[in-house]
Amino acid sequence: MTVALLVFPPGSIENGAMSIVRLEHVSKDYITEGAPVPALRDVNLAFGHGEFIALIGRSGCGKSTLLNLAGAMDFPTSGTVSLDGVVTSNLNDSGLTQLRREKIGFIFQSFQLLPTLSVAENVELPLMLSGASGVGEKAKEKLSWVEMDSFASRMPYQLSGGQMQRVAIARALVHEPGLLLADEPTGNLDNATGELILALLRRIVKEKKTTLILATHSTEAAAAADTVVRLSDGRVQEITHPAKVLTP
Amino acid sequence: MNAGLLFYRIILRPLRQERLRTTLTVLAVSLGIASVLAIELAGDAAAGSFRSSMETLLGDSSLEVTAIGGVPPEVVTQIATLPYALKIHPRIEDYASIMGTRKTVPLIGVDLLAESSGMTGDSANQSGGDNLNAQDSIWIGNTLGYKVGDKLKLLINDTSAEFTVRGVLGGNSGDMILMDLAPATDALRRNGRVDRVLIEMQGGLTADQAETILRKALPENIAVQREGTQTDENRRMLEAFRWNLRILSYVALTVGAFLIYNTISVSVVRRRVEIGILRALGVTRTGILAAFLGEAAAFGVLGAMAGVILGRLMASGAVTLVAATVESLYVSSKPGTITLTWENVALAFAIGVVVSLIAAFSPAWEASKVAPVEAMARGRREHKTRIHTLRSLAFAALFAAAGWFASQQEAVGGKPVFGYGAAILLIAASALAIPALVAGLSTATSGILKALFGAEALLASRNLAASLRRTSVLVGALSTALSMLVAVGIMVGSFRETVIVWMDDRLQADLYLRPAVPPGADRHPTMGADVVGVLEKLPEVEAVDQFRGYEISYQGAPATLGAGVARIAGRYGNRPLLSGASPQTVFPRLEGQDAVIVSEPFANKHNVRAGDVLMLPLAKNRVAFKVLDVYYDYSNERGFIIMDRSTLLKYLPDPAPSNVAVYLKKGVPLEAGKQSVDAALAGREIFVAPNVNLRREAIRIFDRTFAITYALEAVAIFVAIMGVGGALVALVIDRRREYGLLRFLGAGAGQLRRIILFEAGLLGILANIAGMLLGFFLSLLLIYVINKQSFGWTIQFHWPVRMLLSGLSLVYAATLVAALYPARIATQLVPMEVIHED
Repeated sequence: MTVALLVFPPGSIENGAMSIVRLEHVSKDYITEGAPVPALRDVNLAFGHGEFIALIGRSGCGKSTLLNLAGAMDFPTSGTVSLDGVVTSNLNDSGLTQLRREKIGFIFQSFQLLPTLSVAENVELPLMLSGASGVGEKAKEKLSWVEMDSFASRMPYQLSGGQMQRVAIARALVHEPGLLLADEPTGNLDNATGELILALLRRIVKEKKTTLILATHSTEAAAAADTVVRLSDGRVQEITHPAKVLTP
Repeated sequence: MNAGLLFYRIILRPLRQERLRTTLTVLAVSLGIASVLAIELAGDAAAGSFRSSMETLLGDSSLEVTAIGGVPPEVVTQIATLPYALKIHPRIEDYASIMGTRKTVPLIGVDLLAESSGMTGDSANQSGGDNLNAQDSIWIGNTLGYKVGDKLKLLINDTSAEFTVRGVLGGNSGDMILMDLAPATDALRRNGRVDRVLIEMQGGLTADQAETILRKALPENIAVQREGTQTDENRRMLEAFRWNLRILSYVALTVGAFLIYNTISVSVVRRRVEIGILRALGVTRTGILAAFLGEAAAFGVLGAMAGVILGRLMASGAVTLVAATVESLYVSSKPGTITLTWENVALAFAIGVVVSLIAAFSPAWEASKVAPVEAMARGRREHKTRIHTLRSLAFAALFAAAGWFASQQEAVGGKPVFGYGAAILLIAASALAIPALVAGLSTATSGILKALFGAEALLASRNLAASLRRTSVLVGALSTALSMLVAVGIMVGSFRETVIVWMDDRLQADLYLRPAVPPGADRHPTMGADVVGVLEKLPEVEAVDQFRGYEISYQGAPATLGAGVARIAGRYGNRPLLSGASPQTVFPRLEGQDAVIVSEPFANKHNVRAGDVLMLPLAKNRVAFKVLDVYYDYSNERGFIIMDRSTLLKYLPDPAPSNVAVYLKKGVPLEAGKQSVDAALAGREIFVAPNVNLRREAIRIFDRTFAITYALEAVAIFVAIMGVGGALVALVIDRRREYGLLRFLGAGAGQLRRIILFEAGLLGILANIAGMLLGFFLSLLLIYVINKQSFGWTIQFHWPVRMLLSGLSLVYAATLVAALYPARIATQLVPMEVIHED
């Protein structure tokens, strides 16, 4: 399997044309009680199309921060984040919103389905927010892809955890994003259901050539990835093949 | 001690952290309390002014002798010569205007020589003892700002003359002018009659004994009563007016109660987990109940503290409006001092705490039922509420039916007690039906909203339905306030239209004349008796009608006894009669007969119908007058008994008219007619108003009368809108995770803003629908039950479309404006922070 992940040395930007997401000298500080607390420090990473990357590390190591920066939800304190060649720092709020609508899908640990909307309406939501046409058909197709089309009219509270996560995946895919960001997607599921969700994510990467960045504590989940990035104290500690992650 | 500390830590401290919500809730309660307090204080101040300056100036007397048209001099002499230890104080009471200042003040005539020793207060400034009964001598109250020797030009009836200030009265004399009895009778054309004779008992004689002696000695047309009876009658007459104002002032408080309910509900929902933990740690159900009731009581106490201050401030504005209405419709009065007593303060605190506790009881009770391990999701809770909507609908139907039944009942002691009850039942029915309305409408319209306005409208509509309980309370609060706007708007609009139509019928003459001194509902200043003769001779004039009014007391209530020229009124006028009979057939039957027609308020107040007989103390023996018909009248609430002028003169031979109506010949231009009349009356202080001016003035007074009701509604609506704003802030905070998620899913800041504005817009629409429906039914109650039983007026129903449209649109726009701040909060949420909060 080709590992298109690039950890480039400062000053030598390679493989830029191939990257869907690229972080150059990215640092991120949060201000806590008036003092800056670093969450990421000088991170240089680039991910290509159709890759499955797992971010692992202890709580507070910077996984979620990296996902937020890659998802155009936040700006770095220093350095640049590029999505498909667009530097996020150069965009205003509506530019970032537009970027998310077109290129990014999010999957969350606690599914985050809106309780007031039906399954189909939840999946339609990103398209409706972006003013797209053919909303119903596209949502139906994605629900069918995750084998949830028969639950389209149900409300979220009528679904199991695994079903909710499949609906959330359909919602994340409905606008055909190039980058899928998943934060502990199996964290609230039992092992068997988690396996099924991981298989589904794997299938997305394979069939849709979508780049998937998955933040996880789970070694099983990390094992499904092509590449594993281990973070520690906001720095990239190592980049390995999953087999190595599984080795004690 | 520990309980207090826990209460502070768990309930009170969080209030400080949520300053906006706390402030808005306290402000809502305080405005409700302030409305109630302001109306109470203003009503007291307006009613308190009946006590004339002279009552306090001359000390106490136990009895007074009065008669329709004044006590004749021979009766005064008769009392004075009775062989008993009675000291008499004859008195004339009227009004005079100080020329150049447009100020109208009480003009009192007393026997200065006899009274000067008994006057209370600092009368040291008096001078000119030699001038006591000089025609131009006056003594003035100490607040008028004149000094001894000043010259004042006074307008008395239709005459102006210059007077000299001989002294400034001390004590609480206030705004008043005092004259000696003899010049006063001349200036006021009383022909020796006085308005009342106060009787002071001496030598151990009791009031009861004196009353018996006087009744026995005096003819039947002379009334002997306890002093202050008239003041009491005035107070009783004002009761209905004050009660209606009071009820209206409680609307803002009711809206505030809705918001307390909402605040405590939000508090309970937010702290559900906390409650579970506290229960697990050993707090009892009673403890939880007490904690949330304590939170509500804290809002009540804080609201009362602010409400007392606000109420006192609002009373200053309210007293002017209340006094103006009292003056126009009831009785001459001058606003007294607004006095905030400890009783008022206690009332404010009692209302604040009690209303808050009642409003909070249901959510607090629910909180006490939370099982220790329970931390239920909101979705399930709301689901439970949704299931109960059918039961609530059934109760709503029951309440509405009870309201209808109550509306069919008669007044109790002249008060529409059942009418008020019906209004409360209808408001309760509406509150119970609102969850079904919200659920039904949001389900039915969410598809349409999605198709028309996209995701934002869909989300807004679903959010409202999902938070059914909270949405219903907000819609309930806003719709209650709106319903009062609609109900009072329809009632006032209908009343206004009825009065306009009535004036079209009633005011048929071309010119109306009255003495220039301002009249009042209980004041009938007169013109020279020759005025009518002068006018009749004018070539432009076709006919002249004249009216003379006297204030009387009928069955313990003030009323006006009046007379016109029945022949002319029947021929030219068009006074609409309840029986539907033509005035042309009824009025000739009044001529020279002991027969009367009475106004509708009089008929309703005294339960008088056509064919009944009224006994009036006009001659030495009481005279029986047959009631021929009842006529519609909206000029004042005291009520009129009208007879032919010749009949009145038979009993009260004073020919001076109070008002004159001039009918011009056909083809005579109004302006030419007026010029001719003005010229003929040159030198007299007579106000000549063309028909159109009179109507305009009547409508101006009408609008002023209802200004206070609009002011009270404005407060209620302001409270409701503030509540909507505060509740939307709470909703945004509670749903912050969802708003954060929407940002992850590609929603822009503008879209979040639109969701909140859509929510406010939908809330406004639902409140408008509920408010319109409830308001319509309340307006029927106001028009056909409460108003009819309180004031006795028949009002024709009329839709004031423009007023309703503009009022509702304004409130709707204000609701949207109230949503701007919560929308701003939603757009400023940090998605990464809020998405992981659970």
